[in-house]
Amino acid sequence: MGRIVGIDLGTTNSLVAYLDAKTGQPKCILGPAGSTLCPSVVSIDPDGSIIVGEPARRRLLTQPERSIYSVKRLMGRGPADVQGELKLFPFRIDPSSHHVIRVQLGDRVLTPPEISSFILRELKNWAEAYFGETVDRAVITVPAYFNDAQRQATKDAGKLAGLDVLRLVNEPTAAALAYGLHQEQRGKVAVYDLGGGTFDISILKLISTSEGDIYQVLSTNGDTHLGGDDIDNLLQAFVHEGILQTDKIDFSPHGELAQELRKELIALKHKLSETQSATLRFPLPNGKVFVHEFTRGALEALIRPVVDRTMLPVKQALADAQLKPSEVDEVVLVGGTTRTPLIRRTVQEFFDRKPHTELNPDEVVALGAAVQANILDHGVQNMLLLDVTPLSLGIETYGGAVAKVIPRNSTIPASAQELYTTGVDNQTGIDIHVLQGERELAKDCRSLARFTLNVPPAPAGLPRIEVRFLIDANGILQVSAKDIRTGTEHTIEVQPSYGLNDTDIERMLEESIEYAEQDFAERQVIEARTEAESILTATAKALGNPNASSLPSAERARIDASVAALKESTQGSDYKQIRQQIDELNQATEHLAELLMNSALQTALEGKKLAEV
Amino acid sequence: MSASLPITNPPLVCWNCHERTVGTHFCPGCGKVLQVPERSDYFAMFEMPRKLWIEMGALEKKFLQLSWKLHPDNFVNATAEEREISLKRSSELNDAYRTLRDPIARVEYLLAIEGARKEGQTKQQAPPELLEEVFELNESLDELREATVSGGDTASLKLRLESAEKNFEQKLSEVDSELQAAAREWDNAVDRRADESARKTVMSKLNELLNRRSYIRNLVVNVQKELL
Repeated sequence: MGRIVGIDLGTTNSLVAYLDAKTGQPKCILGPAGSTLCPSVVSIDPDGSIIVGEPARRRLLTQPERSIYSVKRLMGRGPADVQGELKLFPFRIDPSSHHVIRVQLGDRVLTPPEISSFILRELKNWAEAYFGETVDRAVITVPAYFNDAQRQATKDAGKLAGLDVLRLVNEPTAAALAYGLHQEQRGKVAVYDLGGGTFDISILKLISTSEGDIYQVLSTNGDTHLGGDDIDNLLQAFVHEGILQTDKIDFSPHGELAQELRKELIALKHKLSETQSATLRFPLPNGKVFVHEFTRGALEALIRPVVDRTMLPVKQALADAQLKPSEVDEVVLVGGTTRTPLIRRTVQEFFDRKPHTELNPDEVVALGAAVQANILDHGVQNMLLLDVTPLSLGIETYGGAVAKVIPRNSTIPASAQELYTTGVDNQTGIDIHVLQGERELAKDCRSLARFTLNVPPAPAGLPRIEVRFLIDANGILQVSAKDIRTGTEHTIEVQPSYGLNDTDIERMLEESIEYAEQDFAERQVIEARTEAESILTATAKALGNPNASSLPSAERARIDASVAALKESTQGSDYKQIRQQIDELNQATEHLAELLMNSALQTALEGKKLAEV
Repeated sequence: MSASLPITNPPLVCWNCHERTVGTHFCPGCGKVLQVPERSDYFAMFEMPRKLWIEMGALEKKFLQLSWKLHPDNFVNATAEEREISLKRSSELNDAYRTLRDPIARVEYLLAIEGARKEGQTKQQAPPELLEEVFELNESLDELREATVSGGDTASLKLRLESAEKNFEQKLSEVDSELQAAAREWDNAVDRRADESARKTVMSKLNELLNRRSYIRNLVVNVQKELL
């Protein structure tokens, strides 16, 4: 078995973390760009190679039609759900989309779980490079308010990335775990988590028992389509309007110019968290520059609606936990968007308490995921997490009403049994429609699944089928049925209303494994070639140095031979061969490097003397 | 005293070592988590007699203790079969805690496992002693809806409804205290090992009170919706 990691699969950025066995503390892993943040951006090259993270983010500007960001917004959703988003986000939904959205990306048509799996695979690679070992298991975080389909889609993405997803953990709960480990906290804790695209509020109770600490979630609420993205959209719409007024330029919100503007505005937004005013200077295609000075006050007036929208779930979560704001002992801020001063102020005023911001709000969720990953790896020792289901589970009854069978904020795993019978003689099927949500009518709730119970022909009312609905520790529904009279278990084919079925997954998995193996070898070759390139350049440069002339001819010959051998090996695609030649050249040039270093030092000292004169 | 009362825990054969077992959650023989019995009993899960007065602190403590052992986090590396069994047991524990923690759900559950819960027609029909007041209330609700549609004066109607709502909320708390009294009666019957017919009498009283309560609660909720 390989290593286990914790992953925060975010709307804007994703991170991977692990628990350091020596310190007992979780740690985020750095990527090749030297940052722990991997931008959740995927880009596909014309040659089919997949680019993830910082390089993909740069391509948003140069190749927007081959690149995608904020794909988390599409997870577990149907085409009809995302019509609103399409006005604001440059998603190119393929017309063949039915129950699952398919996105056009360059020449490929991909589902959101597939795109997310590329991000997960990238993080897996970061971790494998860091450990020098395979990573095959993960705890992945999801917004607490994610519904069944969104959770299932996340789990599917993990599977497609070659990860055994041991658990989905709610983001605010993960943050609470990280904070709990960071400083001894007790009592009632509110976690306010505003990320790039999602908002969660969770109320937890931290209990010390003789066995250890229990993190019991009392209630959770949120909005899975509310976040920093919305602030960016407001800013962008505001500036678009301004440019339309002054310069009569109405550019497409999806093009390169819009992406460029968005990038500028995000930088401006970040700046306004530090300073009181900032100026946007944006070059327009007509040669002019659009200039607008923003004050923090003006920005706050613009984004206040977003902040206000978060307070409704906060109040609902408190009401569900039967608490008043003053009864909350600690408040924790999570998610990059909580750096916004207006949000800090609003939260502080509401709870009348200074919120905790000690841990990096971008990293804290990944850190908590690593803590939970460690618990699952070694078994429960001194920490236990009891989470809840964010939404009520219901069954459609006569007249389109919904009977709630598992109420929201029930500790998971949770289950409910319902007994079904037939209404007419020899009826062979009973249709069951499972929903999630708080509304009373089926049409206002989220459809999770429909299935038909097969019943052997019998007089009406005689069959007795017990259906068991179980929400597992990931917040994902499982359904089983039993014939009470015969005791036989029924198998149920559940067709998810929004999501991939098993056949889809199998096919994608096969494809992804093919890609993965190919990817791995290809990546190794590319990396080795790049390294060869740089050492060859350095060697050529060194040999051109006047001081290199003092090199013994035997050594010079060895270097030349090594250079030739390395150049030849890069023509092939055996990365081990390339690596071997790199090592050989490194050894051959050891003396040369020393020689140059010494003379460089001398020159530097001489230079100093000269300057002193 | 309550320790001597019968705790219903049907004997089971362990799925793993195939021994007959008397354990509540784990097999005393091989230590594996036990399958959830066919007819489970939430009271038995907490090793409590089927009584309606429960000390909340003790219930929570027991819940947390059992959670340590039964939560799926403990079984991540177990076999698929054991994972499945533990998942069911863990969900059963959470279901049991959710039900027993809530005084009304607790009564409903007790009646259900005693085979005495009958929701009957009372869902639609007003209890006879409330008929007149319910009739008036419905009339006021209709008038309010009409007035809202036609743009008429709603203020006085709202006032009348608000006072009716208060009246029914008062009745709700009356039912609640009657329920508490009946629950004490039940606990007494259990303690003195009363005979079947004495128990049945208490249970049918509890059942009737539950129905009346749910009827009045629906009324209150409906009025509150209209007044929003």
